[in-house]
Amino acid sequence: MKKISCLTFIALTILFASTLKAVALQQKEEEAEETGDVTLRAIPQGKDAIFKRNENILYKLQLQNKTNDSQVGEISYLITTDEGQKVSLDSVHIAMRGNSKKELLIKIPQKKTGFYRLNFMIKLPEYDDTVRKVFGVDPDKIQSQLHRPADFEAFWKQSREQLEKVAPKYKVIERRDLSTEEKRVYSVEMQSYENFLIRGWLVVPTDGKKFPVHYRVPGYVVGLKPNMDSDDFIAFDINVRGNGDSKDVINVGTDNYCLINVENKDKYIYRGVYMDCIRGLDFLCSHPDLGIDTSKIYVEGGSQGGALAVITAGLDSRVKVLTMQVPLYADIHDNMSISASYKSQVFPFKVFRKYNSMHPGFTWDKFFSTFDYYDPQNFAPMVKCPVLMGIGLLDQFCPPRCSMALFNHIGSTNKEFVCVANSTHEVNFNYFMFQNLWLREKFRIP
Amino acid sequence: MKKVSVFTYLVLLLIALVTPFKTFAGWPIGKYRDLVIPSFSYYTQTDHFDAKGNQIKGAPGTGFTSFSMSLYIGYGISRRLDFIATVPFLYTMNRLAPGNTITNQGAGDMVAGLSYNLVNFNYVRFLSVQVSGIVPLYSNTNGSSALGFGDFGSEVKLMFSGNLPASIFDKGYFNAELAYRRYYSSQGPDQVSFLGTIGYPVTKHSQVSLDLLLFRSYSSDKAYNPNFFAERDFAFFKPSLNFGHTFTRRFSLFAGGYYVPIGLNTGVGYGGSVLAVFKI
Repeated sequence: MKKISCLTFIALTILFASTLKAVALQQKEEEAEETGDVTLRAIPQGKDAIFKRNENILYKLQLQNKTNDSQVGEISYLITTDEGQKVSLDSVHIAMRGNSKKELLIKIPQKKTGFYRLNFMIKLPEYDDTVRKVFGVDPDKIQSQLHRPADFEAFWKQSREQLEKVAPKYKVIERRDLSTEEKRVYSVEMQSYENFLIRGWLVVPTDGKKFPVHYRVPGYVVGLKPNMDSDDFIAFDINVRGNGDSKDVINVGTDNYCLINVENKDKYIYRGVYMDCIRGLDFLCSHPDLGIDTSKIYVEGGSQGGALAVITAGLDSRVKVLTMQVPLYADIHDNMSISASYKSQVFPFKVFRKYNSMHPGFTWDKFFSTFDYYDPQNFAPMVKCPVLMGIGLLDQFCPPRCSMALFNHIGSTNKEFVCVANSTHEVNFNYFMFQNLWLREKFRIP
Repeated sequence: MKKVSVFTYLVLLLIALVTPFKTFAGWPIGKYRDLVIPSFSYYTQTDHFDAKGNQIKGAPGTGFTSFSMSLYIGYGISRRLDFIATVPFLYTMNRLAPGNTITNQGAGDMVAGLSYNLVNFNYVRFLSVQVSGIVPLYSNTNGSSALGFGDFGSEVKLMFSGNLPASIFDKGYFNAELAYRRYYSSQGPDQVSFLGTIGYPVTKHSQVSLDLLLFRSYSSDKAYNPNFFAERDFAFFKPSLNFGHTFTRRFSLFAGGYYVPIGLNTGVGYGGSVLAVFKI
């Protein structure tokens, strides 16, 4: 009996200790690295910093005084709109002994639908700091105007017709030098819109006969490489014109790529780029012999890739599932308004504003007369498949309000979004773990 | 902007490395997905432990052997909630003396319930609770049966599962289950068990796992019964070693053997089991 009691005690101790360690690890991962004599952490009530219209906004402030001296001062918190307009300013008095910790609960009255910037400013005799946060209120109710030209659909119908006239001339070359025992790697070439040669990488697991497809479209002037990481999907990574190894004709840097023919809607770079994504789908659907399950294609991308993914899913029903992160260019009109409030400009309006300032004839009306054909938000109502979107609340490249506006226009009711409170132009590990489970759910992958 | 793509690579690589084989423990099954696990197990004993843990040699020609088949079904109702049910079929041989063997066969105690994922730790570790009802699928004449206690019961189980910490093992998983079961009869029993499992992949498709089961059953009925399906007051420690192979994404096979080195009022048993995992 003693032996069994002893074993039981040891087992329960291990179980309890493991649980505590897992909780501690999770908390540690969530904590941003903080340095300084006095630190301030602002933790929203909900991990994703999303609140309802009818509830107060609650933040827990964790203060730590690492000095030996007492600290007396105040924390003020300023709330502004996405456009930088002041909503409220309040403050609390703080007094801390040396080497001590303190917690405060900040309660902010209910707010209207939207996203708000929240700056906590700590002011002590020898220490100043500002902690910047963003919170959202009912983001799924954010509404935006679609600036969709009257001939939008005809424009893209015509683009597809022109693409169809280009013989793809697919070349699929097995790359034994890159293949492994578990994955066969193919270099793929094809002719696309306006006879541009584009390339991609196809990676086929050897462990099976038929696989769903992870079709990845690239970020802004990002070269994609063979994706060797998935055992359950065939990975197809396309390098659209001007990206990666598809730079035969267009080979420009990040400052100029999105400006190529921006003054001509018919010739704008993204017309060909969007059609390259469709050509990639054509490739997948014409090669079931490579093990491609053409009924299970999911398209994915982040940033520009997020925009390309939503456009591909909107234009082509062969896409069965869409996942995107921080979609670039979403609700471009609103992006311009929001970015006007930034102290220093960031992409994409950093580039567009510079171009505008250097080309006096290039008015914003002219800019939008082109870009309205390309704003991913205008494609959103055409998306009918399940959608998962991830956004970072501190993102200035793709402001959360713009991403959510796009999301709310998506034509599918089977859609979910994930807000990552402390991320800028990226999502986090948890998002990708969830995305993996979400995809398995949608495709019923064991 | 490059961050997103690079991060995707890293994360997917990690997912590929850490996704556990053994998804039928405390891991949520997953919405709309099914698990079907038929299993077969064999158990035999000749000697037994007395109430003080001393090993008692069995008389020649006596002993107890059982063959059992069971069917486990799991269905993911939502991302956190699963329905589970197990239906066993037993065949027992109780050798009382040379030439005097009592055999019994039939369905045993069905266990059916719901499992709910309380917390997921970054989708890497999961804390779940399972509540089940126990329904005897056999008739219980004169208050006893060789196939079980013949009483309704319930069980609550806390499960903590996930990947082993990367600082200890680069791959592999663990599962810990603490369960309390009660049968609704004046003699109980009340049962408490702890199961700890560590699994480690030895190749891409094969793994070994070690299960350590501690089991304590309390009852006012202290009598020793070589048929452990019907015994009420006993305890044992049972380590088992298993080997699993994944043949396809939907089909895996596990086989293992076990031995009872420590016990109270129970058999010095050993045996083995084979189970097939179908993910539908």
